[in-house]
Amino acid sequence: MSNYVLVPEALVMAAALVLVLLGRAPRRSRRWAPLAATVVVAAALGVELWAGSTLTSQFGGALVQDRFALFAKAAVLLAAGLAIAVTDWSDEGAPVIGMAMILLAAFGVMVIASAGDFVGLWAGLELTAAAGVVLVSVRRTDLGLRLLVAGGVASALVLVGLAFVYATTGSADLLAVRRAAASVNPTLPLAIPVMLLLGGLAIRAGLPPFEFARLPVGLGASPLGAGIVIGLVAAAALVVAFKISAALLPLPAVLSPYLMVAAAVAMVGGGAAALATRSPRARLAYLAAGQVGWIAAGLATHYRTGLGASLFLLGAFAVAATAGPSAMAGADAGEFALAGMGLLRPARAAGIALAFLSLAGAPPLGGFFGEFAVASALAASGALWLLALGLLGAVMSMAAAVGTVRAIYLQSPPDESRRTAGARLPVLTRLSTGGAVALCAVLAGYGVFAYPIFSLADQGAEALGLR
Amino acid sequence: MILAGIALASPTPVAVPGAGIFTSPLILSLSIWVPVAVAIAMNFIPNPRGRYDTLMKQIAFFTNLGIVFILFIAYNQFQTFLPGMQYEEKLPWLASIGVNYHLGVDGAGMTMMVLSGIIGITSVLASWGVRERVRSYFTLLLLLQASVNGAIAAHDMFVLALFWGAAVVPAALLVLGWGGPRREAAAWRLVGYWGLGTAALVIGTMTMYAASGGSSFDMDVLLKATLTPRVQLAVGVALIVAAATRLPLFPLHGWVRDVYSDSPLGVSVVIAGSASRLGAYLLLRALVASDADASRLLAPFIAVLAAISIGYAALVALRSVDLRSAAAHLAMVPGGITVFGLAALTPLSIAGGVLSLFTGGLAAALIVATAWTLTDRAQTRSLPLLSGLAPRMPILTWVFVIATLALLGVPLMASFPAEAMILFGSFKTQPVWAFAVAAGLVLTAVSVAVITHRVLFGEPNHDAPAVSDASLGETWYLGVMAGALLWVGLFPGGPKLPGTEQPIFDPGLINIMGAGISDITAPYVPPNPAATQ
Repeated sequence: MSNYVLVPEALVMAAALVLVLLGRAPRRSRRWAPLAATVVVAAALGVELWAGSTLTSQFGGALVQDRFALFAKAAVLLAAGLAIAVTDWSDEGAPVIGMAMILLAAFGVMVIASAGDFVGLWAGLELTAAAGVVLVSVRRTDLGLRLLVAGGVASALVLVGLAFVYATTGSADLLAVRRAAASVNPTLPLAIPVMLLLGGLAIRAGLPPFEFARLPVGLGASPLGAGIVIGLVAAAALVVAFKISAALLPLPAVLSPYLMVAAAVAMVGGGAAALATRSPRARLAYLAAGQVGWIAAGLATHYRTGLGASLFLLGAFAVAATAGPSAMAGADAGEFALAGMGLLRPARAAGIALAFLSLAGAPPLGGFFGEFAVASALAASGALWLLALGLLGAVMSMAAAVGTVRAIYLQSPPDESRRTAGARLPVLTRLSTGGAVALCAVLAGYGVFAYPIFSLADQGAEALGLR
Repeated sequence: MILAGIALASPTPVAVPGAGIFTSPLILSLSIWVPVAVAIAMNFIPNPRGRYDTLMKQIAFFTNLGIVFILFIAYNQFQTFLPGMQYEEKLPWLASIGVNYHLGVDGAGMTMMVLSGIIGITSVLASWGVRERVRSYFTLLLLLQASVNGAIAAHDMFVLALFWGAAVVPAALLVLGWGGPRREAAAWRLVGYWGLGTAALVIGTMTMYAASGGSSFDMDVLLKATLTPRVQLAVGVALIVAAATRLPLFPLHGWVRDVYSDSPLGVSVVIAGSASRLGAYLLLRALVASDADASRLLAPFIAVLAAISIGYAALVALRSVDLRSAAAHLAMVPGGITVFGLAALTPLSIAGGVLSLFTGGLAAALIVATAWTLTDRAQTRSLPLLSGLAPRMPILTWVFVIATLALLGVPLMASFPAEAMILFGSFKTQPVWAFAVAAGLVLTAVSVAVITHRVLFGEPNHDAPAVSDASLGETWYLGVMAGALLWVGLFPGGPKLPGTEQPIFDPGLINIMGAGISDITAPYVPPNPAATQ
């Protein structure tokens, strides 16, 4: 069975390459590309769930297949598949490039999830971010450049941090780093690089106040591009944070304070900003930032239940934050762009509403279950102040999400003559309708059927060496 | 003697005819998930241009009727002599953090479920006049009802928080979508206050969880854990905040006026009748029944809040110039009385508090619904314009009078034994605040008398718009609530065959609610039938 472990990665990468080549083929032959890409991702997910439970390592330990990798890869494949299915491809400037880039981004996160050393983490993160830059540049070159520059800064910070950790512990292998960290004292010279490393990841994840690049890019990019930037790139940064957090487990003093501060700012700042803004996509981006804060809070607890809860929440986050912008399609001109969507596109509207509510942590969706699990870990670790701030952010997030759901279901659709480019109604296709229904089922079922999912996340945390 | 007879369960367990005919281990899950499933299914029915709006209403009505039937079976077969939880369901959910899908009801829970069933069907009848976006309205209404049922049946703090918080979104959307002119303010206040309450509930739960070793959220574990008085106090304060935002109690009552005045009628009925009672139910279940030290320490504080809430509500109602606003504030009174009964911490007052959950919910919903219907029929909410309506509105006059009598707890009303038990039970432990509550009730009586006299029996105002009496549909939903109040008032122990102890079909709410109360009050020793033989 260990021979099949890399099949999902191979399938995704092969599909991405074929799609890039398909860009030169006649337009007619690309009609089936979204469906084919969805099927390939679904097949990769199936293989991952079937063969991924095998514990093995490849390339001399550079790639490790464990329960953590299984969970993270399954989550990102699910998110990418749903995003491809639900996207309104008539609104994408270069559909095949879009499909190829989301597959490439998913591949990057899969590499991070299996990475056994710093090289894999860095390479996967850069790959995911590069896919985002390419897709954003297709529509807006200026924003692509902006993302590239901000990404460069983030990358430099991550590299400097990794280099210092390597210098201190004498190894780039995550297990060896962990063993070495047990004999290293938490000193300021180590704490500063770790802060730089986390700062770089925060920029990648777009946490407040580091959303200076991600937010305008998320607003200006195509729906799928926004999904990659808001969802997959953030998920990639978080998966790196999981691995680093586990590697530096013996040194919580150099990690936890930063994570707690970042989490507090993200949870409260994300909720407040979501409440203040009127643009649906900006609101979704801020809600996502707030939920990233919850995930970071779980990491800050620095023990298995907290990381398991964060990993569980990461799954719900990845799906909602990646597929949410795609489901919104061209509706980025303001709340009125979503008005009456419940009447005109019921399945898509339900998908958007559930994505918003899940990111806001509203019960009984996946986001609520994950945030509650993180909250229990925070309480058990004594960080009640962080829990209180998180709940404050959650209340604001919920109010913001109610505002969007209201626009979707309770406001009348705008007159067709008033529809601008930013308020275009998504084209109705069987694939997008099916994708929207599947998105609803995943977000609602994630909580209701939490027992096996949470158990797997818990095993994932255990696989990182946490007890 | 009469009060003691009312408060205690019947000395001999007599089977109600029909008991055991039908039972299901999923009886509580059915009452929660059937409305959810129907709400989802309704959205798959094609409804071009509202062609099947009536069908949507009928679906919602028959769903509620089915739930009432299920709950009636549960009520009918409830074992009044068992102290623990009944109809329990337990499945692992988030196993590694100790979350179980654990449902169960004791006497107080069963009483609340009955209340929720009555309120559910009443709210659908009260919503029959909805014309816009009918499908969305009834979808949200069913989801709201399901979340209330879930919060009542929850026996795991996670499940409780889940359903407690789940009520916020549908309630806010219902107010936003179908409310009156001040619906924006009403909805955002509702989200703010209820959101704060949910956050407080989660903080209280997490504090208990952390202090008890972080192994389980099950109420059997969490609420029975030995906590230090300091932790109990912190938990108690959080739970009081959660309860005060929901019930509501002064000073966390900011949503009451706008929500009760400007919500659609069916939503006001659900919120006033059952959703808001969850606040007092939470205090009963999580504070009074578990944190002995905290409840004793905080009891005077809760009593003060209750007394202030009653007096404040009565005074604001007296000064109000809007009948719906006055009714909204009057609807706070039963909640204050219930909480005061729980704060007094005597067996009699707690039993009264449990009965008051039921009677207070019905009385609050009835006063809000009657005021809403009356102002709708009179085409104005202005109290100066509403005058001398009794001759032109005989049905609404009767119902309004019944509602006010229920608020005041006069004999023959179900609220009479509840209020009497609370006041008699509390004079022993909270004499000063019992007097304050009684004074608040006098103020309420004055307020109610002034409003009733002005609106119904005063000199008719010829400048007022034309009025009409309640329609048949309106009479139905008002009649169901008034009838339930009268039924329990007349037959608190259930109707019996003449000369026997054999109940006919209703085992009696007093007998049902008594089950489990003995477990809540530590010094209270229930009568042992075996010892008396």
